[in-house]
Amino acid sequence: MLPSLRHGIATLCSRRIYLFMMVIVPAFCAFFFLNLMHEGLPLKIPVGMVDMDHSSMSRNIGRALNASELTEITEDIESYNKAIDRVRGGEIFGFFYIPQGFQEKALSGRTPTLSFYSNMTIFVPGSLSYKGFKTIAVTTSGGIVQTTLSSVGLDSNLASNLIMPLRTDNHPIGNPWTNYSIYLSQSFLAGLIALLVLTVTTFTVCQELKAGTSPRWLEIAGGSMSKALLGKLLPQSVVFISVGVAIQSVMFNYLHFPLNCPAWHMVLAMVLLVLSCQAFALVIVEIVPNLRLSMSLCSLIGILCFSVAGFSFPVDKMYGAVGIFAYIMPIRYYFLIYADQALGGLPLYYSRFYYIAMLVMLLLPLLGLRRLRRRCLHPVYVP
Amino acid sequence: MKWFLSLFRVWRRETWLVFTDVGVLLFFFGLPIGYPIVYTLIYNPEVVKEIATVVVDHSRTAESRELVRTLDATQGIDIVGYASDMPEARRAWGEKKCYGIIEIPADYAQKVGRGEQAVISFYNDMSLLIRFRQYLFALTDVQMHEVSKLTAERVATLGGGLVTQVNGLPVDTRPVCMGDPTQGFASFIMPGIVVLILQQSMLLGITMIAGTAADRRRRNRGRDPYEYEAGPVATLLGKSLCYMMIYIPMSYYILHIVPEMFALPHVGNVRDYMPFVFVMLLATTFLGQTIQVFVRERETSLLVVVFTSLVFLFLSGLTWPRYAFSKFWIMVSDFIPATWGVEGFIRINSNGATLPDVARYYWSLWALVGLYFVTALLLRLYLAPRRDKQAQLGYSIEDKV
Repeated sequence: MLPSLRHGIATLCSRRIYLFMMVIVPAFCAFFFLNLMHEGLPLKIPVGMVDMDHSSMSRNIGRALNASELTEITEDIESYNKAIDRVRGGEIFGFFYIPQGFQEKALSGRTPTLSFYSNMTIFVPGSLSYKGFKTIAVTTSGGIVQTTLSSVGLDSNLASNLIMPLRTDNHPIGNPWTNYSIYLSQSFLAGLIALLVLTVTTFTVCQELKAGTSPRWLEIAGGSMSKALLGKLLPQSVVFISVGVAIQSVMFNYLHFPLNCPAWHMVLAMVLLVLSCQAFALVIVEIVPNLRLSMSLCSLIGILCFSVAGFSFPVDKMYGAVGIFAYIMPIRYYFLIYADQALGGLPLYYSRFYYIAMLVMLLLPLLGLRRLRRRCLHPVYVP
Repeated sequence: MKWFLSLFRVWRRETWLVFTDVGVLLFFFGLPIGYPIVYTLIYNPEVVKEIATVVVDHSRTAESRELVRTLDATQGIDIVGYASDMPEARRAWGEKKCYGIIEIPADYAQKVGRGEQAVISFYNDMSLLIRFRQYLFALTDVQMHEVSKLTAERVATLGGGLVTQVNGLPVDTRPVCMGDPTQGFASFIMPGIVVLILQQSMLLGITMIAGTAADRRRRNRGRDPYEYEAGPVATLLGKSLCYMMIYIPMSYYILHIVPEMFALPHVGNVRDYMPFVFVMLLATTFLGQTIQVFVRERETSLLVVVFTSLVFLFLSGLTWPRYAFSKFWIMVSDFIPATWGVEGFIRINSNGATLPDVARYYWSLWALVGLYFVTALLLRLYLAPRRDKQAQLGYSIEDKV
């Protein structure tokens, strides 16, 4: 076992690409994601305002839009057409339209219409500007009613109840700030580690086949395929797990992302993620023992994971034939554990199957060991 | 004339290299043809509807049951059952039987009857923001519905001059969602993703060609037997010509046929987006030929290019808008063709912008064409003599790495 391990460590030190793919890329990407979205929400969305009324009431709406944390009026636009052009050119993400005679109609009870346009081609600023616009439109309308009611002598308390007879208290569990960094960084950085583990594992194993050194590699391990693989992959597991846990600790300890469970639940999940991804890559290698093909397959799958594992669109709402693929990906279980444990703070009991699923994945490569061994004894390089 | 002949020969050689290499064919044809379909299939349900929700009703009155029926009738919420108390509801949430819990307080009906403000509590799973968003939309709709209903009732009971003064809400609101009127997820993400697929698949293919050439040079003492000797400008343009020849029909498929197949938003004019994407592809061919120089092995290119897809996706501003970037990341993203490609194409495709509307993206792309043409040319001029020298010495620098 020892010579085999020594060989594995020697492989890691033999080329700079390993240092690059296993340490530099994850570190850079962690910095990239966490730094890019450190504000949590893209507030102060640049929007426009088309004021055709020029009344005191319309100016009030403009001030309210500017004071809102969601929107910022970067342009006062003179017509609807100009505003549409601005949206098309990408300068603004939406605009608020106040029609002519707005104040007059509002005060005389002739129900004018306030329109607001949000550009949904980019989801996040589109939705947020929609929310900001809607709030302003509703409070404007409520303000008018309250003034009217108070002016006829109604108690102001009663008046406000009349305007808002039903209120909802929202409790978003685990992420009350609706922070996008918490939501995206967790799943995307874990997905990135999964992708790197998949590609690097196939690369190291198949590199032996490509270079024709695999008989020698087996010989070092005393002819045992499992020993050879363990020796080669364990040093990599150690590096990947350390990098993964380091990224976790940056998120949970340094940036204080929600961690509503004992830390070892997440560390264990990361350990299992790295190991089960290595096992997954081995299965692919056993099926297609060819450097380029298996690496292409692993990168295609690794990239698809980001969509199929349901980081942004729920798996249970996908087509059944598509959603089922989520459950063969280790990253899906890591994501579910994260959602249950760190975010939701549920007892470990509810996540038991996810841990077990990843453990079972570790056993799968055993099925194809003999096939791989045969191939290692007679390596053929097909470009 | 001689120059044109060498250009033609470089193009012919490159085309031959592409079509005899299965690996490159997979990236140039398989990936752009297959990936958009797979991606769209994943997101094709578009809207998250009928999210399983549990109600904890402490009020148990006709009023509270009516509220639950109204909630159930919305597009976003599906009431799957009642729980007797919060711990039971939490258990259902833990077992993934629901993703949201609505708690109606004991005094709900009382408050509604007395004309006071009633408050209901809503707890939801935050693992996916798209669910939270649907919930918010549904709850806001219900709230507005209740407001207009209850307010009208109350004003009527208060009677007198109020009825004439207040007739429902004094101001109507009309929200308009541009570009993606159904707010579907595929409709939002696909137009951006396909542009990124064009760039990344081309980069993968180009770097793989370079890696194979490097492998050949290693075997042939630093000389590539398949390389056609021509002037640097002719070589660059000849290769670009080959890639463009493949990618122009491909981009028509990916930008026109795919959206038609899945009924994604597609209101742009072909005369606007094809010239626009042409420039992006041209910039990408030169970018590919710039990084080509650094590739040393056929397979390592895959390793390096794949993870950049993720970084480029975020740099394009599709998920996190560019105005919220720090100055540094804006600068970095400015150098990537897909950033401008995505920004411009989604506006042409979904908002119906014309080429003059997206002029600033269009000219930025031309600037990148110029930049990467120069870098590719300089690297080629600088490296070619070094390679010749190595060939004469009979070893290559790659052996040492």
